[in-house]
Amino acid sequence: MEKLNNTDLVALLLAIGTMLILSRIVAELGKRWKMPVVMGELLVGIALGPTILGTFHPDLFNTLFPLKSNPHFSIALDGIVSLSVILLLFVAGMEVQLPMVLRQGKAAITTGLGSMIIPFATGFGIAWWKPEWFGLTATQGEGYIFPIFLGTALSISALPVIARILMDLNLFKTNIGMIIIASAMFNDLVGWLVFSFILSYAGKNGAEHMSVWTTVVAILAFGAFMLFVGRKIIDKVLPWVQTKLSWPGGVLALCMSVCMFSAAFTESIHIHAILGAFIAGIAIGDSVHLREQAREIIHQFVTNFFAPLFFVSIGLKVNFIEHFDWLTVTIILVLAFVGKVAGAGIGARLAGIDRRSSMAIGFGLNARGAMEIILGTLAYDAGLISQTVFVALVIMALITSLSSGPLMRRYTTELA
Amino acid sequence: MDYSKLKRRASYPFETIAVAVAFSPRLEAIVTEGALLAKACNAKLLLIHIGERTRNKESKLDDLVTKLQLKEDQYRILWNDGDPVDSLLHLCKLNVVDLLILGAMKKESLLQYYLGSVARKISRKAKCSVLLLTDPSKEGTTYKKMVVNGVENPKTVHTINTAVYFGKCVHTTDVFVVTEIHQPGLAMTMADEATAGEMTRIKKENKAEELERVHAIVTRCQRQGAMEICEKTISGKPGYAIRQYAEQKKANLLVVNSPDQKLGIIDRIFTHDMEYILEDLPCNVLIVHSRVNESV
Repeated sequence: MEKLNNTDLVALLLAIGTMLILSRIVAELGKRWKMPVVMGELLVGIALGPTILGTFHPDLFNTLFPLKSNPHFSIALDGIVSLSVILLLFVAGMEVQLPMVLRQGKAAITTGLGSMIIPFATGFGIAWWKPEWFGLTATQGEGYIFPIFLGTALSISALPVIARILMDLNLFKTNIGMIIIASAMFNDLVGWLVFSFILSYAGKNGAEHMSVWTTVVAILAFGAFMLFVGRKIIDKVLPWVQTKLSWPGGVLALCMSVCMFSAAFTESIHIHAILGAFIAGIAIGDSVHLREQAREIIHQFVTNFFAPLFFVSIGLKVNFIEHFDWLTVTIILVLAFVGKVAGAGIGARLAGIDRRSSMAIGFGLNARGAMEIILGTLAYDAGLISQTVFVALVIMALITSLSSGPLMRRYTTELA
Repeated sequence: MDYSKLKRRASYPFETIAVAVAFSPRLEAIVTEGALLAKACNAKLLLIHIGERTRNKESKLDDLVTKLQLKEDQYRILWNDGDPVDSLLHLCKLNVVDLLILGAMKKESLLQYYLGSVARKISRKAKCSVLLLTDPSKEGTTYKKMVVNGVENPKTVHTINTAVYFGKCVHTTDVFVVTEIHQPGLAMTMADEATAGEMTRIKKENKAEELERVHAIVTRCQRQGAMEICEKTISGKPGYAIRQYAEQKKANLLVVNSPDQKLGIIDRIFTHDMEYILEDLPCNVLIVHSRVNESV
């Protein structure tokens, strides 16, 4: 078995240590200005990556992150980053509560559908009509994959950011808050299912593609199995694990292994591992037997170790200045705001919600946060999008997350 | 059909109490429970049987009524054919029943739970309050300890009022009004951004806010008798958490709001709050149906 030698290991540990400590410092400083943690982590990545350190001190950059000169280091870091994204999707899934979506009834369904269909349609339509706006040549723009991807990217929401905003505005427990949360869960569920389809169908390795229908059937069959059967099995096993095995070791081992097995299974049938992790997260998170403390431990473990590594690593891959394009950023931002606010707003109006509250719901669901960045990174890694589009998506995710709270506040003064 | 008497009818007092009669081994116990409650609430008693009317069944009921010393003007026996659930619900509407009493298994087999027994189906669809008795007794059940839901819902105030009214009728001593705190999405947000102190503060604030809200409802309630009303917050999924709490407290009765919408099979698969209670009844359960904001 090929192993990391002493030099590789030292480089890897130094890189991880640097990424963790700097991202924590910047995130803590950023909190003073109400900056999302993910923004701090991205800024550290940009500072440590080719954008700043690589440009001004290329030797130091190559010593700290020998991505090109040391293939062992590169593979090891890639493994950790892949594990990070799998675990991030797992914890995102843990917060999706399907019964809650159903309980909110018509309002959650129309808002959830509106906030997906209209952004998807606008994204798909523009990408189909003007592929050159996104740096695609006429031939590249002929397929359906990029338009479907852009539509999906614009229709996703970020539940953790939204939950934080609602809490800050004291709207979490209100009817509007519950509709926003339920719709965001609906967006996440459908969005990641569609995105898994895109990734499995449009991966780099053409030989491994399944047909469209095989892919769709495989995704739906796996989702249905995990949500109907797997969920019930986990619900039966969890109480035994939590009472008979050591705490919290037993429950952590169960959750992590279910996540890994599920991710491995979806990857093995050529659907991306993230779908397995996300669905496993839903199945475990939905269990009434999962203690709140166990849920918190899993979240702490993932968001404070794996999340910074993932988000810092984004900055290491791409030169944000070189690939920044005003036109692409503006188009994606306009599409994101118009599609989401109009879609969610119309959906809410159809459910009989008043105009001001519908606007608040629209701006609330507009926050894309970390989920959009994860989606963009996976798409970039799969060769679906250019660096320019990727940079534009990251900027859109940050701007929508930062603006969501203040814009919501304008329409919610009487609701809290 | 004229259902105008039902429109906006308050969930209490119970003027008409119906008992679903199934001629099972628990027949005497369930009819006795109904008779005792009708007496305690000063209500008319309806004994409803859906199924074939036979001499044997008639004589069984007559013997029982005689044994319970019910006078003719205190009760009526109704016989009807057809689907047990639909016919029973139809008769309840027609006779303006305020409370329907049913015997129910504490827990049903997985298959039966998904297919739905008569008692569970009625609990999901009834347009009147329903009392599910898990262990009806010929001596009558005591309702000393009562757990009542305090969830944020316009129906809750009516449910608490009904529970207090019912508690007075059956001499309840302890009432626990319980609200469940469940905030999905928060764990991920807190893990990312909050310090330990901030996390504790947020949890404390949430708890205090909920208690204040429940206290406001309880203050508005019409307290009756010498019962002690205690307000509590618990963490966990709505429905499941209160079921666990009722079990831990060894409550005699759990009082909850009726579901906001008709519950179907999908609500059993992706468990609705009410379904957590129906899948494993922690004790006797009173589902209060308030008709305040609905058309019948």
